[in-house]
Amino acid sequence: MASSEWPGRAFYSPFAIRYSPLSRSQRTGVSERTGPEEPALNQTDRVAVLLAKHGLELARHLRRLVRDDDVAQDLLQDTMLRAHRALTRLGPGANERAWLYRIATNVALNHLRDRTRERGALERHGRELDVARDSDGTDRDEAARRRTTLWRRIGALPERQRVAITLRVADELEYDDIAARMGCTVEAARANVYQATRRLKQEVP
Amino acid sequence: MRESAKTERRAEERIVRDAFAALTGRTGDAVRYTMMTDTPVGTIGLAEGSSGLMRISYSRDEDEFLRRVLRQFGDRPFLRDPLDNVRRALDRYFSGKRLTFDLRFDLSSLPAFEQRVLEATAKIPPGRVAAYAQVAAQAGNPRASRAAGNALNHNPVAIVVPCHRVVRTDGSLGGYGGGLSRKEWLLQHEGATLA
Repeated sequence: MASSEWPGRAFYSPFAIRYSPLSRSQRTGVSERTGPEEPALNQTDRVAVLLAKHGLELARHLRRLVRDDDVAQDLLQDTMLRAHRALTRLGPGANERAWLYRIATNVALNHLRDRTRERGALERHGRELDVARDSDGTDRDEAARRRTTLWRRIGALPERQRVAITLRVADELEYDDIAARMGCTVEAARANVYQATRRLKQEVP
Repeated sequence: MRESAKTERRAEERIVRDAFAALTGRTGDAVRYTMMTDTPVGTIGLAEGSSGLMRISYSRDEDEFLRRVLRQFGDRPFLRDPLDNVRRALDRYFSGKRLTFDLRFDLSSLPAFEQRVLEATAKIPPGRVAAYAQVAAQAGNPRASRAAGNALNHNPVAIVVPCHRVVRTDGSLGGYGGGLSRKEWLLQHEGATLA
């Protein structure tokens, strides 16, 4: 019992130890050692460092872009693998964080673009089924044809315009949501939707 | 419908933990870490697990700190986290407002003798010092002062376990993993008696 405690007063009596400060020569001679120099990291540990430092904020960024946890997880892993492959190209002093954000945004935009393409195909397929089922309604036939043409032409728009207009029209999102998903400003989102609309109107005879 | 910040954070952590498992094989309990720059003793890295503080160490920068701790805890994912409670305690310490700590720390990765030495060291009050031989005695082996010195050198949680309060019997400072000038600064800051 007693041995598990410091011998209180007796220990801190006038006989207790006092420490002597360093002499000037000692102090200047002291190396500011912060531990032994570590050998270089292996590849897996380098990915671990990137994930530790930036994983959480990239996960947030990706979740906001794609609105789906499983997809975000998949895209984060993809981002990390791409980053790791390109790591040697990142010079010392470069902004690692901004660089990772850029990779993540591209990975997410690619995903959204692929999904948009898929949705366009489904959309066309659906219209064709509708048309077949309701063959005597010529008005409806005509409307379906026009919609199909519209989706095909949306599919032919430049990437960012296509994503923006799809999010606006198909997902019925507000501009700030579009901006968040595309990783751009609200103004840029609005501009992309505007350009897409203008182009679609122009081409309609 | 907006998610609460907490739900959001939980989902983000799950995504990162899954990425750690898939890409690095680290599937253990997450270690949370943060860096404190501009303290009077330089930059320090802090790491905490679910059973308490695991690491406080003087480091040049975040990368160096991570290299060291990633190696040491090879099966655990790491997450950057504000660790506000630890930070606040250290801020109070450095500002001199409160020199003692109520933080839990985790020494379970160390051998039993080293754990006893560090637990004995944790009981030395601020403003006081003890000799290597005395902490060795407290840890159950009065003649093991060199081993006690080694244990203190392996102290994973500098400052919070005040290994800087252990000096030589003749009053000279002895050694310090973070460099003797840090040891001296800490002792002076705590108002330890000079010989």
